[in-house]
Amino acid sequence: MKIKFSRFAVYLFLIFAAIVSVFPFIWLLSTSFKGAEEIFSFPPTLIPNDFVFENYSGVWKAISFEKYFVNSLIISVSTVVLTIFLSSLAGFALARFHFRGRKIIFLIILATIMIPQEVIIVPLYTIILKLKLADTLIGVILPFAVTGFSIFMMRQAYLSIPKEIEEAGIMDGCSYLKFWWKVMMPMTKPTIATLTIFTFIVTWGDFLWPLIVLKSPENYTLQVGLSYMIGTFINNYRFVAAGAVLATIPVIIVFLLMQKYFERGIFTGAAKG
Amino acid sequence: MILIFYYSLLRYNVFEPSQFILFDNYLKLFSDKTFWQTFINSLIYLLVTPILIIISLILALAVREATSGAKFFRTIYFLPVVTPIVIVGIIWRWIFSEDTGLMNYLLSLLSLPKIFWLTDYPTNIISVMLVTIWRGFGYYLVIFLAGLAVIPKGIEDASRLDGASYFQQAYYILIPNLKPTITLIFVISSTAAIKLFIELYILIPGAPMDNKTIMLYLYRHAFERFDLGYGSAIGVVLFLLTLGFSYVNVKMMERS
Repeated sequence: MKIKFSRFAVYLFLIFAAIVSVFPFIWLLSTSFKGAEEIFSFPPTLIPNDFVFENYSGVWKAISFEKYFVNSLIISVSTVVLTIFLSSLAGFALARFHFRGRKIIFLIILATIMIPQEVIIVPLYTIILKLKLADTLIGVILPFAVTGFSIFMMRQAYLSIPKEIEEAGIMDGCSYLKFWWKVMMPMTKPTIATLTIFTFIVTWGDFLWPLIVLKSPENYTLQVGLSYMIGTFINNYRFVAAGAVLATIPVIIVFLLMQKYFERGIFTGAAKG
Repeated sequence: MILIFYYSLLRYNVFEPSQFILFDNYLKLFSDKTFWQTFINSLIYLLVTPILIIISLILALAVREATSGAKFFRTIYFLPVVTPIVIVGIIWRWIFSEDTGLMNYLLSLLSLPKIFWLTDYPTNIISVMLVTIWRGFGYYLVIFLAGLAVIPKGIEDASRLDGASYFQQAYYILIPNLKPTITLIFVISSTAAIKLFIELYILIPGAPMDNKTIMLYLYRHAFERFDLGYGSAIGVVLFLLTLGFSYVNVKMMERS
């Protein structure tokens, strides 16, 4: 009897926390379908009296939503591709080549993980200014195209591949680069998957750096565009809500599809300390 | 990294050539009342760390007890984590709004007076803390579950045979074994708390600087007033704070 009760309490607690987690999303979704008067109705309604879709078309017209969406997509996808490509190469070299200063280079790369992006944001900005990349998408992509964390993860992946495979490949007369591309890289697929989803979600939601770099509205990302939108459309919360829903859908989809890999990324991230 | 130390010694803005002024930026910073206020706010905000540790630890233990549906709950708790912070800010700004917000509606149901969640100080900091906790606990919960998974099952079984109650077990066996995980979460969460930016930027854009944290002060000077030298000096302080947390981390690791 006692055990039954405590099991019940555990589930009650878990369900309560689940409601707290999800309810704000439901509230957002509900607001995005409400009509002009209903959002101010008192008491508030959870399920809209009649579903209105005009908020979605409204936000599409009110801001250059399409443009922002495409910008966000360009930035996220290029960052992911560059991250995978560059950190695979760097990780492979660090795991497999023996050269002078390998240890020191690896330590420096590890040290960069410890320094938060926010701390170096001023010098980062001046570098982008000097490269004449301010207010460009490339300026947003470049500094985070490869990070200490991604190199670290790829290095670990290459380290776990048995040496014998490498020797076999070399005996077959492959060039190093071809060998890496044809044999080694495919073997790190699970890590690549983890890194892809991780990078995508982080880049898609990134705000501070694009906010600093991008100045002209046609270059805004979704997050930056939405943040300005709350400033100007504060009384039209329905539009903002619809925009927020649309901006959240991609990450939720990516997350649900590849949850397994995402949690693995956190474990590795946690293990590195 | 070296650049920021160098910049912090300059009178450096985008309008005139930079000039070496040694420690002037720091002297100005240390006598800057608003800076100290933001510094104090950042310290207050650090309170989210112990709260997050407690909540996510208790939930992790609960998820571990759940025989079915553990994966479902983990997924649900994780949704706020992957949601972009700007969206999180948008959602909660609406929930906290004074006249039409859900929070004040709930208060009115209990016939309690309205709270100005986002305009009164320090209520607004507490509101932002609530949002951080809401968004963060799923993340730390997963880390806790990873930490719990490596504790050998044998210890628990043995103690159960010895007649330990669940709470005794949790207190004497699980929690001491989780020390490295707790330290890790302490560092991740404090570092995240000290560099808090987006939540405040979205939730209380109109509030005076006295209500905000160090990172917003840095942004104001470096990117709104383009005083990159002064901004860098603030950045150095921020860096020293995060370094402090890492140091605490290493010390605690050594002790255990």
